[in-house]
Amino acid sequence: MAVLRRSSSALVGIVASALVLSGCAAGSESTTTETSSGAQAVGCETPTTVTMLGTIKVEIQDQFKDAVAEYNSSNSDCVEVKIIESAADQTFLANITPLYEAGEAPVISYTLQELPDMAPRVMDWTGNPLAELAAAGTLDTATIDGKILGIPSTVEAFGLLYNKDVLDEAGVDPASIKTRDDLKAAFDAVAATGRDAIHFSGLWWSLGAHFTNIYHTTAADNRDDRMAILDELKAGTYDLSSDPAFVNWLDTFDLLKEYSSSDASIADDDYDKGVFNLADGEVGFWFMGNWAEPNLLGELPEGSFGVMPVPTSNDPAAYGNDGISVGVPGYFMIDEEQSTAEEREGAVAFLSWFLTTPEGQARWAGPVESGGMNFIPVYSGFTVAPETFMAGVISEYVNAGKSLQWVNSAYPAGLQENYGAAAQKYYDGNSNRAAFAAELEAAWVK
Amino acid sequence: MANRSTRTRVQELKRFGIFALVPLFIFTFVLVVPFFRGVFLTFTDWDGFETTSIVGFDNYFLAFQDEAFWASMGITLAYVFASLILVNLVGFGLALLVTIPLKGVNVLRTFFFVPNLIGGVILGLIWQFIFGQALPTMAEQFDLPFFQENWLVTTDTAFWALVLVTVWQMSGYMMIIYVTGLMSIEKDVLEAALVDGATGLRTLVSIKLPLMAQAFTISLFLTIRNAFMAYDVNIALNNGGPYRSTELISLHVFRDAFGFGNFATGQSKAVIMFLIIAIAALTQVIVSKRFEVQR
Repeated sequence: MAVLRRSSSALVGIVASALVLSGCAAGSESTTTETSSGAQAVGCETPTTVTMLGTIKVEIQDQFKDAVAEYNSSNSDCVEVKIIESAADQTFLANITPLYEAGEAPVISYTLQELPDMAPRVMDWTGNPLAELAAAGTLDTATIDGKILGIPSTVEAFGLLYNKDVLDEAGVDPASIKTRDDLKAAFDAVAATGRDAIHFSGLWWSLGAHFTNIYHTTAADNRDDRMAILDELKAGTYDLSSDPAFVNWLDTFDLLKEYSSSDASIADDDYDKGVFNLADGEVGFWFMGNWAEPNLLGELPEGSFGVMPVPTSNDPAAYGNDGISVGVPGYFMIDEEQSTAEEREGAVAFLSWFLTTPEGQARWAGPVESGGMNFIPVYSGFTVAPETFMAGVISEYVNAGKSLQWVNSAYPAGLQENYGAAAQKYYDGNSNRAAFAAELEAAWVK
Repeated sequence: MANRSTRTRVQELKRFGIFALVPLFIFTFVLVVPFFRGVFLTFTDWDGFETTSIVGFDNYFLAFQDEAFWASMGITLAYVFASLILVNLVGFGLALLVTIPLKGVNVLRTFFFVPNLIGGVILGLIWQFIFGQALPTMAEQFDLPFFQENWLVTTDTAFWALVLVTVWQMSGYMMIIYVTGLMSIEKDVLEAALVDGATGLRTLVSIKLPLMAQAFTISLFLTIRNAFMAYDVNIALNNGGPYRSTELISLHVFRDAFGFGNFATGQSKAVIMFLIIAIAALTQVIVSKRFEVQR
């Protein structure tokens, strides 16, 4: 009896400690763990550890991690790069402020809207060779008060994506669409083939950041005037309803809504619906950006998908009628507050590998199938470039000088969410033009 | 005589220390210290990275002037009210169901509890599919009026979708508490009632309910607390949409701080929220305790 009791209590003890230990092991799997990304750097005793928050974009995170591993095992800068996983469902600030608090600020961070928030604590890139290589105009958004806060990753473009086969069948040539009325005619032609003309997503970010940009970027034909409008909105002195560009934009909003597929909605899963609709040829157009191209090609590998402007005006010579919004989606910043000079040099060396060496460039701009990230290069000296149909189309527009500014890059943190909420109300028909304009103006003054 | 009582006191403290010191230490440093630091930060100009000056009650004034804050409070109160009633009704009903002396009814307890274990992203995926694809398709097939459109894209239906998912998730948990309450009622009291000829309903209302009032205290407290602090369900289902109209208070505070970068104002909203919940919960417990029967 006593023997039984002893062995059963021993058993209980073993089971209990096993549970506790497994709990500890499971507990270490938090969302911000550091993952070492490769072997020791070549020929180096103690490499400098350079930490980076996140993997640029979720779409190419595997390719980025492979590139980091390649760098770590082959570089002679004595640098080892460690990626700090960022929680995808958290905002940039939610990911980075705890790291700064804990004294573990990542050396490299990548973002767009929060550049002003990070300005006091990041390195100035002025005079750095990499910044000198960047294409003209790509550093504008990252330059605040004369300080260059970061270097660009790539350019992305958004506009009306189209399925070339569907448009060929409907007899529509995108190059011939020069006014809003031409666009309407094109929609009618596509509809005549028995399809819906366009999938107009009601996603808050698509409407709030990208579609509102179509107004802001055509509101004036030079950058200073466009930014001046933003300043007036911040001061609460700008009347949107009396701006003819705004009225044109609303007319275009109504047009797209009128011809949109009934599948499109404000639900968060509308992006996938858009991919399938365009790739499967159920619609001819989709208002979206070139980041959707890998998804579209994944659905239809032999398809050709292009991008064309959103002509808001009926005057073919109006500014912006024939341009697509091209902008930098994010900048690499290097922390100056909590990093050492070696870490900063190491970070610059790492980025230089990507942007100036053949292996790095292959990873940067090479096709997704061979481990590249398919970024359109924006630095001089690149020997590799994406060869998809859409990338070619975008290059044509950029080379012809027909690229429009991403004014949404200058939206303060949180504005695009409020813009998106107001736009979704108008999209659903729960708001009229006056109320919509009022809400957009109110979003700036909060 | 005096020696013995002091030694027992020391021994009592030792025993207390062995069991309670580590949890107390963790509690102090994980909850109490950050809480007071947070309250301190609300009186400064904290921007998430550093504080440079004391600004008094400015952040609280800003918080009170924010319309979105009051809108969010309003919808949170409605949500708390709705889930308080429905979760406890359903939970109590389920508890009565699983305590019927039938064979195999115990298995039902596990089934009803499982939804409580599902949370976060999976919860969102399941219910987004149900509201977005499954129900509308079924509604089209069988011509039902209610589910034709995705409930998550209109404010009123999104609110009830939130309540529905909360009831689905929380009733299992409350059911367990009520079952414990029901099981703790002495058999002789119930037998006496049966002998006196009381019907099932009379027994329930006059005997079972008063004797398990303590279970009600606990359940009501937990429901109020969970409803006020709801965050997972809010974000997973529809992110506070459509157009931020079903944004509950926790999500609102989080967005204010980490989305818009208003860290100090966000934190003061959190402190206001704490005060409201503390008052509500304490009131509820004090009132409920009055109903508890001393045995």
